[in-house]
Amino acid sequence: MSVQEETFLTPVVPLDFTYNYYIGQYLTRYFKGFKEKKILGSRCPGCSKVAVPPRKYCGVCNKVMEEMVELPQEGTLENFTVGHVTMEKGGRLSPAEKPYVLGLIKLDDKASLLLHKVEGVDPSQVKAGMKVKAVWKDQVEGDYWDLDHFEPA
Amino acid sequence: MRNVAIVGIGYTPVFVSKRRDVCIPEMISEAVENAFKNSGLTPADIDAVVFGNMHTFEGLNLPHLWSADFIASLGKPVMRIATGGTTGMSAFHAAYYHIASGLHDVVMVVTYEKHSEGDAQVGLMGIITPEIMAMLAAGIDVTGQKGMGAIGGGSAGGISYQATSYLHHSGAGIEHIDAIAAMERRNASKNPYAHLKDPEATAEKIAQTPLISWPIRFGHVCPTTDGATVCILASEEKAAKIADKAAWVWAVANCASDATTGNLIEGIITDPGEQMPATIAAKKAYERAGIQDPRKEIDYVEIYNGFAHQTLMFLERIGMCEVGEAHKLLEKGELEMSGSLPVNASGGVVSTNAIGTSALNRVTECALQLMGQAGEHQVEKEVHKALAHGWGGLMQYVTITILADKPKKL
Amino acid sequence: MDKKVAIVGFRMKSAPDLVTTRERLTFELTRGLFDDLGIEREDVDTTIFCTNDFLDGRTISNCFLEGPAGCYMRDESKVEMDALNGLMYACMRILSGQYRTAMVVSLALTGYQVSPYLHIEYQLSPIYDRQMRLLNELSAAALQARSYLTRYGYSEELLDAVAVQALSNAAANPYQARRIPGVSKEKVASSSPYYEPLKELHCYPPTDGGCVLLLASAERAKELTDKPVWVLGMGQSIETFYLGERDLFRSPSTVKAAKRAYELAGIKDPKAEVDLAEVSALFAHQEPLLAEALGLLEEGAAESSYQSGDTAVSGKMPINPSGGALGGHPVSATGLIRAAEAVRQLRGEAGENQVGKAEVAVVHGQDGPCAQQNAVVVLGV
Ligand SMILES: [Zn+2]
Repeated sequence: MSVQEETFLTPVVPLDFTYNYYIGQYLTRYFKGFKEKKILGSRCPGCSKVAVPPRKYCGVCNKVMEEMVELPQEGTLENFTVGHVTMEKGGRLSPAEKPYVLGLIKLDDKASLLLHKVEGVDPSQVKAGMKVKAVWKDQVEGDYWDLDHFEPA
Repeated sequence: MRNVAIVGIGYTPVFVSKRRDVCIPEMISEAVENAFKNSGLTPADIDAVVFGNMHTFEGLNLPHLWSADFIASLGKPVMRIATGGTTGMSAFHAAYYHIASGLHDVVMVVTYEKHSEGDAQVGLMGIITPEIMAMLAAGIDVTGQKGMGAIGGGSAGGISYQATSYLHHSGAGIEHIDAIAAMERRNASKNPYAHLKDPEATAEKIAQTPLISWPIRFGHVCPTTDGATVCILASEEKAAKIADKAAWVWAVANCASDATTGNLIEGIITDPGEQMPATIAAKKAYERAGIQDPRKEIDYVEIYNGFAHQTLMFLERIGMCEVGEAHKLLEKGELEMSGSLPVNASGGVVSTNAIGTSALNRVTECALQLMGQAGEHQVEKEVHKALAHGWGGLMQYVTITILADKPKKL
Repeated sequence: MDKKVAIVGFRMKSAPDLVTTRERLTFELTRGLFDDLGIEREDVDTTIFCTNDFLDGRTISNCFLEGPAGCYMRDESKVEMDALNGLMYACMRILSGQYRTAMVVSLALTGYQVSPYLHIEYQLSPIYDRQMRLLNELSAAALQARSYLTRYGYSEELLDAVAVQALSNAAANPYQARRIPGVSKEKVASSSPYYEPLKELHCYPPTDGGCVLLLASAERAKELTDKPVWVLGMGQSIETFYLGERDLFRSPSTVKAAKRAYELAGIKDPKAEVDLAEVSALFAHQEPLLAEALGLLEEGAAESSYQSGDTAVSGKMPINPSGGALGGHPVSATGLIRAAEAVRQLRGEAGENQVGKAEVAVVHGQDGPCAQQNAVVVLGV
């Protein structure tokens, strides 16, 4: 059979697997904090950096970050991007209905930057250095999206 | 070529079905902490890290990136190795070459699997799913011989062909598979890092477990385990400073056959029990280690046996006994911890299978035996040379490591 | 590392959409390489595969390539990372004295199973980022781009200038997948916005392709080729996974990897001693960012370097004369393709894109979101 005559089968295989991820000891504490509308981080005994969300290890110091600290709900927008596309499950790009803002927010000088949605402001008016504050869902359940977004303070 | 030694070993405190209390990097960090405790080293002593686990099982791509902060690796070279079931040993081999090349002195191997977070059979089916889809599209009956061969690629279905072939060629019976499975469950009960343990296991008890696909029963099959293993290797100069006791690498080797071997894909029917790569890899390893007569010179063997018959089958394939002889050695009790050819005192993969760690555990278990640190499952005879075997890929890839209690003469 | 290991041959292929199978592409590339060198599969002592299971949509995806690559009943292993790491492993195997030749095989058919962006999505934390669905390959890169521009006070036009240079070089390179004749700043600036400040033509195109490369010990290399290209140094490093803790405007892991590679190569002043660089920059801002980390451009002077033409093929420090990853990014193979492109330059075979003096080249490969992990190899004649 010559190459020209060959046909390639291109079956589309829509695979969807289920995984059960255990979130571990530290993220569990983070979501417990959410139930009281608190933002918690874990502090490194070596460099005193605070990781938000909390986790076990500071990779720089190789130390366990046992201590939990509460962070302020207001902070500074350090860096941001305006999204004009959305990436859906499956990694496909499509145009966004309207531009939206993702920001890296500094809640404390020692805290790692928290990535979140920034709403309540025209995307073209967003500036690094803006003060922003946390907006919670009315009903908090100890879940990812209890902390709904940030908005200008 | 430089000499390379194992100077530290760390396991997670337990190897069990479900670690619900920790996320993946948290679990891995426990084994890393234990390796540092075991070796007396600190993160600053590590020059490079080699990381391995089974691809895709937990729905993660390159999980060393997520784990980087938990494995003392920041600012260091990290290499991810993945070769299926053999991953743990392939990662060990990569660490060996990091040092043997002269580029690094102390290298840490990190392996894990957290089966409870994914579905191993789904992961394994991923090996052949595209073939099945292509067959469906081409109108091939996947329930017929070809399809079943393909489907068997990843699970006990295909293994039953291998076991049947082994029984046919060796003259052994299903009762021998029951007996070796029972021996390994008993051995496992003495190993704190084993998963399925039964100090009272007997061939009769195993024979009562349900048949999956003749001759394979539930009692012959490995569990899915959550656990992590870390192993630290060092050059000869460093090892002398770091460790009082070390296990020395005398040879590493591997061999791959074609992916269609042992399957019925594309109409090619080959014998899944032949396992030529095991024979070739072992021969290469013996040559590299300067071993003339493995039966006389090797004191202890760890076989990668996801399924119980493989202990016997691979002993024959790697030349530790004649074809048809392994089950007779078993009958005489020679494979027991008190025997002349002790095998899998750890309980083997059939008792504990956190896949990413499984082939590395074969190496670390040989090292523990050589250093006399295996505790309750230390074998009775003196161990001066040991062989670790890994099996994986698509049932067609084998790795071999030969260790000894002293450095090789270069 | 002196002159102990050499690259003696390569084959590569890149296209927007290769209508082929992974097995056929592997066979085409490896058989081609054997024919180029007049060898057979028995002459290859060991093979290192670098393919990605997620992209291939199957577990242990290299298994089916062992036959087509000629390693039936032979020695092989797999590094599941950018293939520049595979090249480093192949070097280690030869340096150990166990092997005389080692082949590296890498390929990706990105359109074959899943979207290339999924490859990064599944690198993110499944217990946080993947649940929040805010972070993805493009939004992460956009944050890095903004951080870089802000830090040095560059305008967004720098991104256009980098992209135009890369895409113009790519247009003249027959090995590239994305070739846009007469690409202009206007065309780049008017391409669709993704995440600000990144637009479509600032980002890599998802492409198919592959690369195979044969390495040999000094002794064996002399038998196989008159034009060996020596591996003089190599290094690799990783940094923290957490974007909120990284200074995204710099790449400390690249700095570390380069330091090690230069030490091994005996290079003290990279700006003076390196003739060109092939950098796996997946987004326009990454090219100057990584070139700075590699010590090839002055920190903070990227805008003037690109405007003055210093980084062009005819400039004093050509960066990505091949067009780089903006011309094609078969995930995993990209770093190895950079190495092969450097080999073309060092052998004086780069045609229209040939730089003037080409004796020492730096090659870079990356893994992870925002280049969390970086590999650097120094090649020379
Ligand atoms: Zn710290």
